Amino acid sequence: MEALPRTILYDRHVALGAKIVEFGGWEMPVQYPSGIVQEHLATRKQAGLFDVSHMGRFIIRGNNRLPFLQHVLSNNADALDVGESQYTIIPNEQGGALDDAYLYRFVEEEYLLVVNASNRVKDWDHLQVHAEKIGDVEMIDRTFETAMLSLQGPRSKDMLSTLIDSGLLPDPLRNKLSIATLAGAEVLLARTGYTGEPICFELFVENADALKIWDILIEKGAHAVGLGARDTLRLEAALPLYGHELGEDPQSSEIPVFAMPLSRFAVSFSPLKGEFIGRAALEMQFTSLKKIFDRDYSAIQDLPRLIMPVALKGKGVARAGYKIFNNDEHAGYVTSGTMVPYWHTRGEGIASVLTDEHSLRGISLALLDSSISEGDTLEIEMRGRRIQAVVVPFHMRSEAPPFARAIPWDRLHSEKTSTPEAKTVTKARSILDQAIRNTSWRQKECINLIPSEQTQSAVTRLLSVMDPCGRYAEHKQVMAFSEAEVFYYQATDFIENVEKRLEEELRDYLGCPEVETRLISGQMANTAVFSALVDYLNRVDRKSEQRRIRKVMNNHIIRGGHLSAQPMGALRDFVARDPKTEKPAVVNFPVLPENPYKIDVPACAKLLEIHRPELIIFGKSMTLHHEPVADIRAMVDALALDCTIMYDMAHVLGLIGPHFQRPFEEGADLVTGSTHKTFFGTQRGIIGARFNEPDPEYDLWLAIRRRAFPGSVSNHHLGTLLGLLMATYELNHYKNEYQENIIRNARAFAVALNTCGLDVAGDPDISFTQTHQVILNVGYAKGPEIADRLEKNNIIVNYQAAPEEEGFTASGSLRMGVQEMTRFGMQPAHFEALAGFIHDVIVHGRTVSKDVAAFRKQFVDMQYCFSVTEFEDEIQKLHQLLR
Amino acid sequence: MKEISELNFPDDLKYAGNHEWSKLDNDEVTIGICDYAQDQLGDVVFVELPQVGDTFDKGQEFGTVESVKAVSELFIPLSGEVTGVNENLEDTPELVNNEPYTGGWMIKIKPADVSEMDGLMMKDAYLDMLKG
Repeated sequence: MEALPRTILYDRHVALGAKIVEFGGWEMPVQYPSGIVQEHLATRKQAGLFDVSHMGRFIIRGNNRLPFLQHVLSNNADALDVGESQYTIIPNEQGGALDDAYLYRFVEEEYLLVVNASNRVKDWDHLQVHAEKIGDVEMIDRTFETAMLSLQGPRSKDMLSTLIDSGLLPDPLRNKLSIATLAGAEVLLARTGYTGEPICFELFVENADALKIWDILIEKGAHAVGLGARDTLRLEAALPLYGHELGEDPQSSEIPVFAMPLSRFAVSFSPLKGEFIGRAALEMQFTSLKKIFDRDYSAIQDLPRLIMPVALKGKGVARAGYKIFNNDEHAGYVTSGTMVPYWHTRGEGIASVLTDEHSLRGISLALLDSSISEGDTLEIEMRGRRIQAVVVPFHMRSEAPPFARAIPWDRLHSEKTSTPEAKTVTKARSILDQAIRNTSWRQKECINLIPSEQTQSAVTRLLSVMDPCGRYAEHKQVMAFSEAEVFYYQATDFIENVEKRLEEELRDYLGCPEVETRLISGQMANTAVFSALVDYLNRVDRKSEQRRIRKVMNNHIIRGGHLSAQPMGALRDFVARDPKTEKPAVVNFPVLPENPYKIDVPACAKLLEIHRPELIIFGKSMTLHHEPVADIRAMVDALALDCTIMYDMAHVLGLIGPHFQRPFEEGADLVTGSTHKTFFGTQRGIIGARFNEPDPEYDLWLAIRRRAFPGSVSNHHLGTLLGLLMATYELNHYKNEYQENIIRNARAFAVALNTCGLDVAGDPDISFTQTHQVILNVGYAKGPEIADRLEKNNIIVNYQAAPEEEGFTASGSLRMGVQEMTRFGMQPAHFEALAGFIHDVIVHGRTVSKDVAAFRKQFVDMQYCFSVTEFEDEIQKLHQLLR
Repeated sequence: MKEISELNFPDDLKYAGNHEWSKLDNDEVTIGICDYAQDQLGDVVFVELPQVGDTFDKGQEFGTVESVKAVSELFIPLSGEVTGVNENLEDTPELVNNEPYTGGWMIKIKPADVSEMDGLMMKDAYLDMLKG
C-alpha cells in the first residue's frame, strides 16, 4: 500500500506525542497527550495551534479567473477586495454541495481557494473541467509546497503581534487579510478559522518556513490541538463539516445547501454572478427558506429539513446518525454530536470572567423537519433509550471578544430581576432617596470625564421642567399662508416665540441661515437628514419605489466613526446596497497609518473619484482632530460631484469657532449634532443648513423640515426646548473663554497623563488633541475593568475599543473629555493633579476615592453660565411654581 | 497515545479480552476497564451503567463508555448480579482515565460462579495478547 502523505509538521506531532490517524488521505494528529478536552479548553481560554496543512490549497489566476469563480462557486467572488476573504460553497447542479471552501484574495491578480482534504482531488477535477471550458484560467495546486497553520483563541493576537518584523496584522474584522513578515518569513495572514473564536488567525507559509513558525508559536505558549478538538470546537460554534452537515445525509440523499444556516451568507444571487452552477436549484431552496421563516410550509418540498443546533437536556451523548423524534414521529437525524467541555464563568455581564472550573455538556447539530423551530423539545434515540433535547439558537456566542462564551441550553436568557415586594409609597420614597444620593454623588463627589455628557446650569435645568414640559406645539409651514408656521394647538404663543428665539441664537452660533430645533436627539437629527435626502433624491419621481442614497462616505466605526452615521445605526434604511459587495454602499475615509484617528486627506481624492458619494458624513465619537472639511469640499467641487457634505458635530458642537473649526465657512452643507456634550444644553438634537431660499438645494432643506415634523416627532419635548434656549444664550455669551479653556485643558491633561508614563493616543506634536477629548490606551481588553476601577474611585470615564481592537468587549482604551469639569472651573494645573489620581489607580492600584471626592469639592460651582444670584428673584418664583 | 510499556497493569487483577479488569474480594467482584482501554478511548465523557439488581450472563453488554469521539460497549467478564455501581462516574467520568483501577471502577457483582474467574487472564497473558 502506498504510504499516506504527511504534512511538513508530521515529525513535530510525533515528537509531541500525538496519536496519529488517517484523515482525508493524510496521516494527521487526532490528539496530543493532554487530550481533546484540555485542547478544547486551552483554545477557548488561551490559544490553540492547529496544523491544517492537509487542506487543499489551489491558486487561481488568469484573465478569466473572476468569471470562472463566479461560475463554480456559490458566493460573489467579485465582492472581494484585495485583503478580504469569504466562505463559499462548490455547488452541484442539484443545489447540493460538492464541498465547502474559503476563497482568499491576498493579492490583486490571484485567488486562493482552500478546500477540504478529503475532497481535494474531486474538487480539482471538477474545477478543471470548468476552467478548460471557460478558458484563460490557470489553476495551481499548492497543497504540497506550502503549510497552513491555524492559531485560534484569545491570546493568539498577542502571540502574533510580537513576531511581526514588518507589515501589519489584518484589520480586526472577520475575513480580513494581510501579508506580513513574521520571524523572517513571509506569511499570509487571515482573520479566519474553524473554532468560532473571535480572535482567530490562519497562516499560509512556504514549507521551508513552517517548522520555524510552528516552533515559535509553541514556545510562546500556543497549545498544539489535533483534529479531535478541532471537531468539538467547530461543533460548539455550529460550523458545518462536509460529510455531516453538507453532502449526503444519513439516508444517503443530498442535503440542500440552504439547509445549513451559514449558506445564507455563502450563496449570492447578485446579478454580477450571472448563471452559475446550481443557481436554479439554489433559488428554489432560498424561496422555500424565506417561506419557512414566515411559517409558510407551501414550498417545503424544496427544503424539507434544516440543520439546527440541538442541546441535550438529559444525560447521554448524541452521535451522528442517531434518530430524532418529535412527539413520537421521526423528525430527523443527528448530523454531528458529542460532549464538549466549557469553562464556568463568575460574575455577570461584561464583568464576567472565565474561572478554572469546567463541565461537559451534550450538544449536537441535527437535520430536522423544517417545521420544527427554536425551543421545541425533541427526543434523541440512543442505544435503545430516548433522551430529551431542545432546539437552541446557538451553543456559543463569539460577539464578546476576546473570549467565545458557551451558552448552555438552560442559560440562554438572564433572569429578569424583580424588586422585592413593598408598598408603592415605600418604593416611591426609596427611588427619591436613590435619586438624591445619585445626584449628590455625580455632582459633588465625582470627576466626570465622559466626553458626551454635560451638566446644565441651574437656570437651564429649572426651565426644562416648567409648564412647557407637559405641552404640545406641533406646527408646520403652510405655503398657502406665505410659508407661515401654523400651529395645531392653542396657547402656543409662548413656545412659538421660544422656538423662534432659539433658531435665531443657533443661526448666529452655527453661522448658517437655517436651523431645525425640533429633533430630540443627535441620532434623530441624523435620521431626519438621511430620510430627507432620500426624499429629495426622489423629488421628481413620486410613483416608483423611492431609491436610496447610492453611496455614502463616512468614518469607519472602528476608527472612531459615530454609530449614528453607520449602517448599523441611523443610516441603515437610507443607504443602498452596493451590488458588488452586497453590503451597504458605504466607503470609509482612509486614515493615516501612524495615526488612525486622522483622515489621510490626499488619499481621499482617488476614493471620491471612484465612488462618487452622494453624501459625505464627517464627525466622530472618538475625535482628536479637526475634520478636513475645506480640503474635501475643494475635491468635491473639482470633481463636480453631486454630493451633500454633512458634519455630525455631536461631540464638538460646543467648540464651533476660532479655537476649533467653523464648518459652514469651510464648506459644509449641513451640520447635525446633539446639544449636550460640549454644547451647554439639554439633551436634544439640531440641524443647521447653509441653503438659502433661492438655492436649488433649498428643496432639501424643506424636506428636512418635513422629516422633522411630521417625520420624526409629534411632541418635540417643549420643556427641554425652553431649557436649550437658555443654554444657547449662555454659550453665545461665554463661548470664547470656554472654548479656549477646553482646548487648553484637554492638552494639559493629555500631556500630564503622558508625563506620568501612561500611553496617550494621538500626535504628541500637537499635544495629542485638538478637541475636548483625550484617549488613553490601557492595554488590550483591559478597558472595562479599569473604567470600573476608576468609577469606584469616583472618576467616571468611558471604555472604548481602539482601532485595532475587535469590539467593545475587547476595549483597551479610555475615552475622556474635559468639557464638564472645565465648566466647573478646572484649570490645567487641576487636570495635572487629576492625571496623578488616574495614574495612581491604573498603575499602582491605589484607592483614591476619598481624595477624589475632596478634590471635587473645589469644583462644584458652575462657570460660564448666568449666576443664580443674578436672577435670584426669577429663580425663586420658578421654584415656587413647582411646589 | 502511550506505548504498552508506559501503561500500568496491576498484578492482582484478572483481565478479559475486551480489556475489562476484575478483582475478587470476599464474595464480590469489582469490574472496570484497564489502562490500555482508557488510553485508547481518550477523554471519557459519559459512562452508562446498569442498576443494582440487574443480572447478566458472561459476555453480555452491561453498559457503555463514551469518549469525545466514540462510544464503546462494556462486556461483563463473568455472570452475576449487580450489587453496586460507581455513582461518582455520573459527574466525574474522567475518573476512568485518571484512576482506572481505583476511583474509576464501574460495577460490583455477586458472581453466579466464582470459577469463571479462572477463565480470565493474568497480567502476563494479557500483555502477550496486547503485543499480539
